[in-house]
Amino acid sequence: MVRFLIPTVAVLLFLLEPELAMLSPIEIHGDIYYLVPRFLILYLIFISIYYSRQRAVMYGLFFGVLYDVFYIDIIGLYSVLYPLVCFVAGSIVKVIHQHLVVTTSVSVILVAILEFILYQFFYLIDFTTIPLAVFLQSRLLPTIIANALFLMILGWAFRYLIHARVLQRAREVS
Amino acid sequence: MPHFFFNKKLILLLVGMIFLVALISFSLRDRTNATLPEQIIKDTVGFAQSIVAKPANYVTGIFNNIDSLLNTYEENKRLKARLEDFAVVQAEATDLKSQNQKLQDLLDKKDSLREFDPIHATVIARNPDQWEEKIILNRGSSHGVKTNMAVMTAQGLIGKIILVTPFTSEVELLYTNNPNYRVSAMVLGEKEAYGLIEGFDKERNELIMKRINASLTVKKGEQVISSGLGGIFPKGVPIGEITEVSTDDYGLTKMVYVKPSADFSILEHVVIAKRSSITIDGSDGDATNQDLTNPQKADEEETN
Repeated sequence: MVRFLIPTVAVLLFLLEPELAMLSPIEIHGDIYYLVPRFLILYLIFISIYYSRQRAVMYGLFFGVLYDVFYIDIIGLYSVLYPLVCFVAGSIVKVIHQHLVVTTSVSVILVAILEFILYQFFYLIDFTTIPLAVFLQSRLLPTIIANALFLMILGWAFRYLIHARVLQRAREVS
Repeated sequence: MPHFFFNKKLILLLVGMIFLVALISFSLRDRTNATLPEQIIKDTVGFAQSIVAKPANYVTGIFNNIDSLLNTYEENKRLKARLEDFAVVQAEATDLKSQNQKLQDLLDKKDSLREFDPIHATVIARNPDQWEEKIILNRGSSHGVKTNMAVMTAQGLIGKIILVTPFTSEVELLYTNNPNYRVSAMVLGEKEAYGLIEGFDKERNELIMKRINASLTVKKGEQVISSGLGGIFPKGVPIGEITEVSTDDYGLTKMVYVKPSADFSILEHVVIAKRSSITIDGSDGDATNQDLTNPQKADEEETN
């Protein structure tokens, strides 16, 4: 059961992201804030940290390609960035303490970096013209807050699920 | 031989980079058709997405209902004020409609830019990273959707179809950064003023309508609708209301800011408008240089 739960959750998060994106942008006091849901990559980072880096990179590649083809129509953007972020997360874990607070902050920082790289890319190819300051205020900050909140609520559940899988695998091996 | 392996990795990385750049530049070209593997992926994900979209739409519907419940009192006051005008306007509209029909019959004029066949569609996804303003619908070429068709809600125009697969289609919304995105529109003032919707002001959150003849007067508060002269969209789809009038960069033509009448933030059910009269064949159309106004003649020419 647990074996299939990990990919199932990933697929669910992948499908949920665009639905939640429909609630964005929100308007507060005349200012417009974009909330970009990055739940899938947060989950993949957790897999990379608590389970296996290689597995996370594979998932990252698979969902990155889907994301590119279905939403972005620029193939090769997310399909590189997703595995790369998973790889970096898996490498970082070797030097840090695996406490939930630490991993949560690492994940959020990685998502912020991802968002920034995407901004740079879209700025380069003229898909967006907004200046850096506006990007930081109306996109990056609300996105970080929203995703951090999401991870604070569901991070422990991710860890619980991944731990269950790790334990199950250990039992299979022994 | 660690040195050798290092080189091999480096070469692999380089080849990968070249492949990546090639792939990105290939997909960045203006494409109107998806390749077969893309179509398969899009349709499969679209199918799964439409299953998830149903409960999600239901939940957002509940939130919307709560939201509108809170505004009920205000809205009711406003609507009551309008209701009295409404009966008069409706009677006038029916009268005008029948009169118009009679006159058209008299003239034997069958084609109208206004007419379109609606295709109802549900929004199954919105581009989650929101850099490009795109939504994905659950209707595709197998339902008769083609690229460049207008997409609207009950309130007004929201965008046009840019990519079609057998079971899904992609809509580029009106507020996009794409400089090639233009909609031929007209202002319903004392005298109709024609112009083009070109671009979107991010700070004001309003559309920009340019190239209006400087000798015509357009005022704040006047309605803007699609003119149908672009050759693709039907005529008479509401776009918005003028909020500010100014002149363009060179001072030769007028430029107005238009507040869109459609609500872009929560889109659920949309209508794809398939124009009944002939659509043009320019760079936005099929670009085959066929004579579409005389189909028989064109066919003959082709056979010759």
